[in-house]
Amino acid sequence: MEFDLENPLENLHSDDVSYLFLIESDHTPSQNHSQTLKARDLDISVRRELISLISQLSCALDPVLSYLAINYLDRFLTNQGILQPKPWALRLVAVSCISLTVKMMGTEYPATDIQALLNQSDGGIIFETQTIQRMEALILGALQWRMRSITPFSFVAFFIALMGLKESPMGQVLKNRASEIIFKSQREIRLWGFKPSIIAASALLCASHELFPFQYPFFLKAISDSSYVNKEIVEQCYKVIQDIAIEEEYSSALNGVSRSDTPINVLDHHFLSSESEKTNGITVANATDSPLGDLKRRKITGCGGNNPTILNSWIQPCERECEK
Amino acid sequence: MEKPGGGGVLSAKEAFEKLEKVGEGTYGKVYRAREKATGKIVALKKTRLHEDEEGVPPTTLREVSILRMLSRDPHVVRLMDVKQGQNKEGKTVLYLVFEYMDTDLKKFIRSFRQTGQTVPPQTIKSLMYQLCKGVAFCHGHGILHRDLKPHNLLMDPKTMMLKIADLGLARAFTVPIKKYTHEILTLWYRAPEVLLGATHYSMAVDIWSVGCIFAELVTKQALFPGDSELQQLLHIFRLLGTPNEDVWPGVSKLMNWHEYPQWNPQSLSTAVPSLDELGLDLLSQMLKYEPSKRISAKKAMEHAYFDDLDKRHL
Repeated sequence: MEFDLENPLENLHSDDVSYLFLIESDHTPSQNHSQTLKARDLDISVRRELISLISQLSCALDPVLSYLAINYLDRFLTNQGILQPKPWALRLVAVSCISLTVKMMGTEYPATDIQALLNQSDGGIIFETQTIQRMEALILGALQWRMRSITPFSFVAFFIALMGLKESPMGQVLKNRASEIIFKSQREIRLWGFKPSIIAASALLCASHELFPFQYPFFLKAISDSSYVNKEIVEQCYKVIQDIAIEEEYSSALNGVSRSDTPINVLDHHFLSSESEKTNGITVANATDSPLGDLKRRKITGCGGNNPTILNSWIQPCERECEK
Repeated sequence: MEKPGGGGVLSAKEAFEKLEKVGEGTYGKVYRAREKATGKIVALKKTRLHEDEEGVPPTTLREVSILRMLSRDPHVVRLMDVKQGQNKEGKTVLYLVFEYMDTDLKKFIRSFRQTGQTVPPQTIKSLMYQLCKGVAFCHGHGILHRDLKPHNLLMDPKTMMLKIADLGLARAFTVPIKKYTHEILTLWYRAPEVLLGATHYSMAVDIWSVGCIFAELVTKQALFPGDSELQQLLHIFRLLGTPNEDVWPGVSKLMNWHEYPQWNPQSLSTAVPSLDELGLDLLSQMLKYEPSKRISAKKAMEHAYFDDLDKRHL
């Protein structure tokens, strides 16, 4: 039974999703440890280095592999820490996390390819199989053999159904964008304190705000009304993810990534400006406004700032999709 | 090699004091043990890993991880921890640490057989409901047991709580099965499609086993006590009638299908005479030949047979 990030238990029935909410904390870097780890700059830099190494080693295979391997790494770090990082030890941890991931996901790559990849080394370090096996055993013990990680991906379909978008093109678009956000935000240590389901809900809200801002209040209500979700915590997580997304935008802009000037992107720019205004507003005068107040202001600004022609042409495809 | 981080995980030998060997499971020895740190009594299942160049086999990794995920349901025996160690020959050994239960359904039924008493009907109903609930939980998560039998159903005789054990171990440890005892290879609870060589199992194989266990709780004797695969099939056919394409479309195409003596179906009440109408109806739905027609565990829980059962604590 190969492991699938979206269905950590194969054939999970939709009415049994409550069980995932019950046990998800067993598969999450511990909140207490994230507080501790933040105080250790060394471990933060070590984590960054390891993530880079894992991404480098596994990007040739499947990006989903990176996500699971990094999940194992994070849970291992919060359990064990690395007090005396040595280059070879760091690399061994990364390689072992990848090896465990490959076993869990049942990838069909020839063993020789995997072995060659795992032994790829800038520093000329090649690990014996037995060494990797011993590190694997250590990681398994630290993670208590809970290798079918419950990640934000396990909850995306559930929340999309809550939003009324099950099996719809709009739902697929949201899912794709939310997945992209989840992938990219994994690097961010500020999210360690949040449960996977909260991250999934926040990523979907972020995606819906970005892609379908006029439906956003409805989606927010649908998710907030769920008894599985704490609204205040979603708000906190949403802000962190939003910050990450904005930083991502700035980073792309600074890198001079060219973008075609399409209506969607024009709207993106407007919302980016809107975010800046919101930030200024909160700082200067409206710090006590509720999130709903923020929403109202964003909508007004967005509407006022848009060319009616662009707005109309953008809305029509969405309306058509909604009617399906 | 210097280990990263702090102290290592305690090895199984350091963490537990073995009190006695309580069995030879299909997949290794089982000990009653005490966890030194807490004083808690646990069941230790010791299993050799069949390593190759890969280290921990992927199937073991995947299936043990499932057990770790399923350990919150009250009707599945809880896998509390996993310890990896080495035996005297340096081979890797896995210790699965399960919650300890005092007895199992096999011993429970045997105790009634020895005293000549019948199992009280409400006790049967309660145990069967818990069994259906545990199986429904597993099936709801896409997990088949595939080896349900009274020996794998652990009980607390004080509370009459029942839990399913050995879940998923059939796939986690693909070791050659040694013939420790005849019981290990029991065919009595095996579904006819399995005996006939079906290659695609469904959850219905577990429901068949549940039905056989149900009947055994009532009569205290195995319903279909075959001692070979052929004899097992003949036992089934004598009671339920030899299947044909009418009652079980596709049966004649199964790999192990042959010409069999033709029996007509008998009433289930001849085999389970003291079970009431509702119980017989539920049992008949569990013992349908066609797997897709067998009742699901979830539907079984809703059957009228359980209507008068107080389910508040189950």
